[in-house]
Amino acid sequence: MKAFRLEDTQNPTTATAKVKRVDSLCPYCGVGCALTFSVDETSNRIVDVQGRDGAANAERLCVKGRYGFDYAMHPQRLTQPLIRKPGSYPKGALSAIVKNGSRARKAGGLVDYDEVMPHFREANWDEALDLAAGRLKQIRDVHGGDALAGFGSAKGSNEEAYLFQKLVRAAFGTNNVDHCTRLCHASSVAALLEGIGSGAVTNVVRDIEHADVAIVTGCNPTENHPVAATFMKDAAAKGTKLIVINPRRPQIADFAAMYLQPQPGSDVALYNGLMQVMIAENLIDRDFIARRVDGFEELKEIVAPYTPERVAKLTGLPAQDIVDAARLFGRAKAAMIFWGMGISQHTFGTDNARCLIALAMISGNVGRPGTGLHPLRGQNNVQGASDAGLIPMVYPDYQSVKDPKIQTKFEKYWGVKLSPKIGLTVTEIIGAALAGSVKGMYMMGENPFLSDPDINKVRKALSALEFLLVQDIFLTETAEFADVILPASSFMEKTGTYTNTDRRVQIGRPALAAPGAARQDWELICEIGNRMGFPMKYASIEAVFDEFAACTKEYKTLSYDNLGAYGKWYPCPDPKTSPGERIVFGDSFPLGKAKLVPARISAPNEMPDDAYPFVLNTGRVLQHWHTGSMTRRSHALDAIEPEAFVEIHPLDAAKLKLRDGDWSQVESRRGEIQLRVRVRDRMSPGAVFIPMHFREAAANVLTDPAIDPIGKIPTFKFCAVRIKRIDAPPNTAAS
Amino acid sequence: MSATKLIKLTIDGHDVSVPEGTTIWDAARQAGIEIPVLCHSPRLRPVGVCRMCVVDIGQRVMAASCVRPCEDGMKVDASSPKVQRHRKVLTQLLLSDYPENSRREQTTGDDQLLALARRFGIDQIPFAEGASNGARGRDASSAVIDVDHQACILCDKCMRACNELQHNDVITRTGKGYGARIAFDLDAPMGSSTCVSCGECMAVCPTGALTNKLIVPVRANRRGSNR
Repeated sequence: MKAFRLEDTQNPTTATAKVKRVDSLCPYCGVGCALTFSVDETSNRIVDVQGRDGAANAERLCVKGRYGFDYAMHPQRLTQPLIRKPGSYPKGALSAIVKNGSRARKAGGLVDYDEVMPHFREANWDEALDLAAGRLKQIRDVHGGDALAGFGSAKGSNEEAYLFQKLVRAAFGTNNVDHCTRLCHASSVAALLEGIGSGAVTNVVRDIEHADVAIVTGCNPTENHPVAATFMKDAAAKGTKLIVINPRRPQIADFAAMYLQPQPGSDVALYNGLMQVMIAENLIDRDFIARRVDGFEELKEIVAPYTPERVAKLTGLPAQDIVDAARLFGRAKAAMIFWGMGISQHTFGTDNARCLIALAMISGNVGRPGTGLHPLRGQNNVQGASDAGLIPMVYPDYQSVKDPKIQTKFEKYWGVKLSPKIGLTVTEIIGAALAGSVKGMYMMGENPFLSDPDINKVRKALSALEFLLVQDIFLTETAEFADVILPASSFMEKTGTYTNTDRRVQIGRPALAAPGAARQDWELICEIGNRMGFPMKYASIEAVFDEFAACTKEYKTLSYDNLGAYGKWYPCPDPKTSPGERIVFGDSFPLGKAKLVPARISAPNEMPDDAYPFVLNTGRVLQHWHTGSMTRRSHALDAIEPEAFVEIHPLDAAKLKLRDGDWSQVESRRGEIQLRVRVRDRMSPGAVFIPMHFREAAANVLTDPAIDPIGKIPTFKFCAVRIKRIDAPPNTAAS
Repeated sequence: MSATKLIKLTIDGHDVSVPEGTTIWDAARQAGIEIPVLCHSPRLRPVGVCRMCVVDIGQRVMAASCVRPCEDGMKVDASSPKVQRHRKVLTQLLLSDYPENSRREQTTGDDQLLALARRFGIDQIPFAEGASNGARGRDASSAVIDVDHQACILCDKCMRACNELQHNDVITRTGKGYGARIAFDLDAPMGSSTCVSCGECMAVCPTGALTNKLIVPVRANRRGSNR
């Protein structure tokens, strides 16, 4: 008989016995998973993360949410305000890799602190804030407000976004304020505003459980919205037929009834083809069209030439697949459409989204359970940052800066004269900085050096700025060009509301104390405003939320009190009794009737040719986030996926004599990068894929800065490149 | 749709009425009676493999309440000495080859098997030891999850979480008899399997079999490399 002593099985020193539990949110993607941080307060460390029963995740998490929290505790966190030393002018990049791209001596990693830090000196808060506010004010007073611009961030809270756009509009005196939504769903939002009058999703992700059929196009949810993908897979297991469309085979295609792999950039042809079949075979909802849609006849005329045979030629798909997909979608009682950056990041991104809107409208698939339009949002708060007015054309809640009545309303609300001129977008601001018309910038949590197209152009633009204020938690590539750097708080250190892809507004709660002298982002925005002579004084973050909510229709019923632990979907007419609306537009659209805007196929800006024969597609991988400043500082995520790669089809690899793990140089008309090859059959022959996260082989060195004329979004999903085998660069580990 | 039929029964003497099809475990939970369980959670499809939730319904053998639907007039005894004795013996059996150190108790601190040992006041294991400690193996190949097969009670929660919640279809079972254990893909090491490290298996595991590895503080030199 064996004695059993419980105390032997326990570890009395384990920290978990005395951890504090903090109910908060995941800081990564737009799904907006609710979670609980377990925090050891003595050491100010998060020890683990548990899924919470949130509306979007039902306790489920993905690898980033569960294991990617340690970046906040990384020793490279900025802890003191920094001022560029006089000897480090004229300005330019400071580290070899940011100066020279991938030809730098060393591969890998993050911004080299040893190389960059000696160019800055530590300052106290008053000195740094006075200098920053003084320089911005000086540029405004000498050159006018339009010589200033600000990039906010969709990683920040609604409150931060609201204050930031208010600062730029009211204190800088310009509408030059934008954020990474420009690089993400700007074209989708433009098409939705034009077509139905609202840029938000009509149905929440989990409504897919009520759909017979769902189109999942231009997205890779198992990697980019992993928890949303689990609900799509749930639905598929219970009988929802997925039609997955993507030139790069996403893993969710394994769960699909049909997988279509069109040629990159042939989206408009494909959707017009589906509509042509549906109209020809009368698989449309004539009653819905009559009651709720304008412009059907014109659409019918424009899609008429897109016969299956012609679309087969344009897309490379079998004609029968187009017919089958149209019938499957057209015969569904309830069908939903999900899309991502594969739709939006094209010079014809707005046209792509217009087609998807039309597809839903002619089949009557809006406003009921299991139907609707769902552009899957990327950042945790890209919906909220846009709602809060972090866009150059509109004040909070999409109120146009061109409307004199609205301008007067906000002049009264903020107590200052405002500019009636539409501001510049992200890509236009970079151009204006290069041209010299934008002279001063405030970057809050954005890293355009890696996230914007054509890095070599961004480098020149950032060097040309007279004054750059960067507020971030790490020394980013962009911060190398800064005059002043303000150490900010990570998601885990602050309170704020975040609006997920489902329009659900949820509260993030602080789990950690900020390191060193780092301060709350919202307070820093107010400090800059106050020191520029525009008073921004709030008793608490809740007071900021209340001021924001009061100038909108969608948020005005919401407050920290009624959001509680689980948040609410907006619109939420009665927050006391209701969680808000899962489905909107059951009876009418904000525009009244939906407006169909037909699109004709147009060619991508840079077609492959003999010199640059491959199409480059860019995107993300499961383990990393955008420019990697968070995830590459997360031990587990970086260990699982440590390096950049170019994914190429086996047939192309054989032609180029490339084997899996070989090194290659990928070149476009704008630059070249060196990275390892992965031979996979996910892309079709003639197309390659590179993830955007890795600075040492930055995909955006190659990308084309051409933009969609309406959404102003760059064409990240299409440019021409060539590839050659090279020897492994020095200092790189063998495969 | 017609209203679902209501079933009337008693659980530990309390009158309970539930819609037809409700399991005894769910009915008890609604009535505020907690029946211990290892292989089940309301998030998962019940399978009734661990037998910890057995209740006396007056039949020849006890019923696993997580899978047995309520029946009209049923008299359920969920906490009699007989039922408690059964659960205690079962806990002792599961502990007979349990590792001396539960990684779960040392990481997230919520080992449910040890919690039952505390609840039943277990101070001895009246059985011969199973295999010696560690005989069933360990797999430390994943970047985030430690697999200790010795602590696995084959409750299948990880399989259902992986295959039915996250639909990653990575975890399965392999082997026969005492050699039976969970496996990844075609019995690959977890770290080289198609596992996407979502951690759902770790989250549902009731024992020290699937636990979080310590997220090592990144020892970055300030030069910027993590490695």
